[in-house]
Amino acid sequence: MEPYGNSGGVSSSASSSSSSSAASITKPHEMDGYLAEAGYMVRSSDLRHVAQRLERLENVMVNSPNDLAHFASDAVIYNPSDLASWVDSLLSASDLSISDLDFPGVIINNHHTALPTADTWAEIPPISAAPPQNHHQVTAVMEEDSGIRLVQLLVTCAESVQRGDLALAGSIIETMRALLTRVNTDCGIGKVAGYFIDALSRRVFTPQSVGSDGGSAHQNELLYHYFYEACPYLKFAHFTANQAILEAFHGHDCVHVIDFNLMHGLQWPALIQALALRPGGPPLLRLTGIGPPSPDGRDSLREIGLRLAELARSVNVRFAFRGVAASRLEDVKPWMLQVSPKEAVAVNSIMQLHRLLGSDSNRNSPIEMMLGWIRNLNPKIVTVVEQEADHNKAGFLERFTEALYYYSNMFDSLEACGAMQPDKTLAEMYIQREICNVVCCEGLARVERHEPLSKWRTRLELAGFSPLHLGSNAFKQASMLLTLFSAEGYRVEEKEGCLTLGWHSRPLIAASAWQVMPLPEATATATNPLGIVNHSANHV
Amino acid sequence: MEDNNEVNEVDLTDSKMVVPLNTWVLISNFKLSYNLLRRPDGTFNRHLAEFLDRKVAPNANPVDGVLSFDVIIDKGTSLLTRIYQPASADAPQPNILDFHKPVGVEVLPVIIFFHGGSFAHSSANSGIYDILCRRLVGNCKAVVVSVNYRRAPENRFPCAYDDGWTALKWVNSRSWLKSTKDSKVHIYLAGDSSGGNIVHNVALRAAESGIEVLGNILLNPMFGGLERTESEERLDGKYFVTIQDRDWYWRAFLPEGEDRDHPACNPFGPRGIRLKDVKFPKSLVVVAGLDLVQDWQLAYAKGLEKAGQDVKLLFLDKATIGFYLLPNNDHFYTVMNEISSFVRSDC
Repeated sequence: MEPYGNSGGVSSSASSSSSSSAASITKPHEMDGYLAEAGYMVRSSDLRHVAQRLERLENVMVNSPNDLAHFASDAVIYNPSDLASWVDSLLSASDLSISDLDFPGVIINNHHTALPTADTWAEIPPISAAPPQNHHQVTAVMEEDSGIRLVQLLVTCAESVQRGDLALAGSIIETMRALLTRVNTDCGIGKVAGYFIDALSRRVFTPQSVGSDGGSAHQNELLYHYFYEACPYLKFAHFTANQAILEAFHGHDCVHVIDFNLMHGLQWPALIQALALRPGGPPLLRLTGIGPPSPDGRDSLREIGLRLAELARSVNVRFAFRGVAASRLEDVKPWMLQVSPKEAVAVNSIMQLHRLLGSDSNRNSPIEMMLGWIRNLNPKIVTVVEQEADHNKAGFLERFTEALYYYSNMFDSLEACGAMQPDKTLAEMYIQREICNVVCCEGLARVERHEPLSKWRTRLELAGFSPLHLGSNAFKQASMLLTLFSAEGYRVEEKEGCLTLGWHSRPLIAASAWQVMPLPEATATATNPLGIVNHSANHV
Repeated sequence: MEDNNEVNEVDLTDSKMVVPLNTWVLISNFKLSYNLLRRPDGTFNRHLAEFLDRKVAPNANPVDGVLSFDVIIDKGTSLLTRIYQPASADAPQPNILDFHKPVGVEVLPVIIFFHGGSFAHSSANSGIYDILCRRLVGNCKAVVVSVNYRRAPENRFPCAYDDGWTALKWVNSRSWLKSTKDSKVHIYLAGDSSGGNIVHNVALRAAESGIEVLGNILLNPMFGGLERTESEERLDGKYFVTIQDRDWYWRAFLPEGEDRDHPACNPFGPRGIRLKDVKFPKSLVVVAGLDLVQDWQLAYAKGLEKAGQDVKLLFLDKATIGFYLLPNNDHFYTVMNEISSFVRSDC
């Protein structure tokens, strides 16, 4: 008998054994140091995955111990050091179909529509505690059934999160990941599910890693650009707002546009050119662009302003630019904008107002304060474009299911536009950030608090604004532009003077315009827009 | 038609919440693979076990101040030990003759180590035990002799004890392991799980034969008995271990037909050996608060105490089995310090 038994597993790792003070903090892609010393190679980032697999194997063994023991005897196992592969191979070799790992409460539906549409959603029954039925229906894994199954699991997972049962949520996430391997993740429900599973995974497993901006402002700007190019939503927003601003500026010689989120200033070249071609000549155009401060010492706002100035010069439009750097919109104060009483002001907010709806125990949401001073600027027009969705509900489950539906449509529409790679993926990442924020964040960190037009209408009217009809021209031109820039399936709709752009029957983005409603006790006048009495400070 | 629609689910929440993730993965993996190896008929899948066990070679070049080499100490049974010695990195490459030069330290603790594995699993060259022995050397400035004892179910009681005894005699007679202060080998016995059980039994034999053992270190020692204790019932299945697997291992180790009140399993039970007035070494008994056999371990410590023996009990509230395998928790360091003090008390 050999002294050390079967030496099949002898490695020479002793000579490379790390010191007993091996750092316990390893980068995710590195092997866990302590496990490596014990002879097991697992990447830190895989630890959780392996743990989940072990747990599932545990369940398998409890339910069918003989199967696994048989497998263990007969199978060829390649490298037991590689824990991740070993547990995976054990799992896949066991004779289970995913359906055997059902959780109580998930009801398998019998739908045959491949993608969730409005009709499918309405028919999904509420989650109940009934035991799973009809395992056999899911044994042949069909794309459609897996898709529906994924949706069911997603909703069940969200429900567990809402209840605080993170252990169950974690298990469901694992099941979903496994199911994902059997569906097409390039499009449809597979794609969307992947993103939502990731977001849930973050919320459940690594909540500390989720910040409110989910990445640098610079990264965000880059992704924004790809999103802008890959689908028509932002173009629609810009075009519709510009049209309304153009009309509002009619007859004014000094105009001032305040852009709540300059980004790359993509909206403004078109307006500058339209103003240049205005009968009677262009006005003096001032543009104030608000954006986050640049971390690396660059003044990116100014750079964009310079480029726009260059364009304005080339079409003979007198132009002045001012950048206002603020990390949060609510930090912007009216005096920073230096509005002059002589100018016609347009306030332009493309998907910014919803960020002001967050609140916590220390402060109320700043939306009312903001709307208040916007009104006090006495703008000729306020253009508002917002996601047409209800992602600000207090209950997590409701919010989650809303978002699932909303972003499913958005991803489908993105697919239809046929953008090339990697542009499409980068555009998706832009959307993914929104999804993560909606799903993972709470309190002030959750900035993507989308609300539907009907709620904004109420809010804005309460704040002293009245709606401005966008006009049939805007509608016709939007429809025409869509045929040029997008694909079959997009739909522009007009609703009480506002325009929405959506995918099939689901509006996804809503554009509206507002003017100031004169209040009875208003102290604001044409010459005193801030309503300040006895001011002595310069306010130009 | 299934008459039971429920899926039995194992609740692993308890174990997951008390250990770091990498520890959880390591011990769960052991649990899983061990489940695969034990057959209901009492046989053991030794081939698969050897394949799955992560083993490391010895290394005569010092790594982090420790070098190791293997020695066959009994040709009859092919009994192997792995010896770990403190060494400095800049010492010249040792050759085979150097290994038998006296270590030359005034007081040199020599720890004879018996690895765990419930009498059936692991070896002296298992990765987890190789690294543990290296840590012991570094920590205690001792020589560690890890014994590759014969395992169950192929080799039942008393093979493991016989091998331990052989190792003790061998270590005791190595002139190069003598402390220069008194020209004697300063021997300590240490072991975890089944190794802890072996420590007790080898110490018993040493006491009867007049070989001096200076101290016993028992880490989560494996003891049991016929009766089901409160801790066994309370913790069954909660922290990686089940009563069922414990029973399997006793059935594999104890002589056929014997029950768990056999003195090897239950030293202070109805068939236990009286220790009063026996010159038994001082003992350090480490009990993990989440180990389901803790009641037996506590009873062991109590038994020693009642027999007038010197025993120190270290009860680690929230420790699970295997906490000492990875140095990523406080208990690990607490225990290392205790062991170090224990073996260096006369240095």
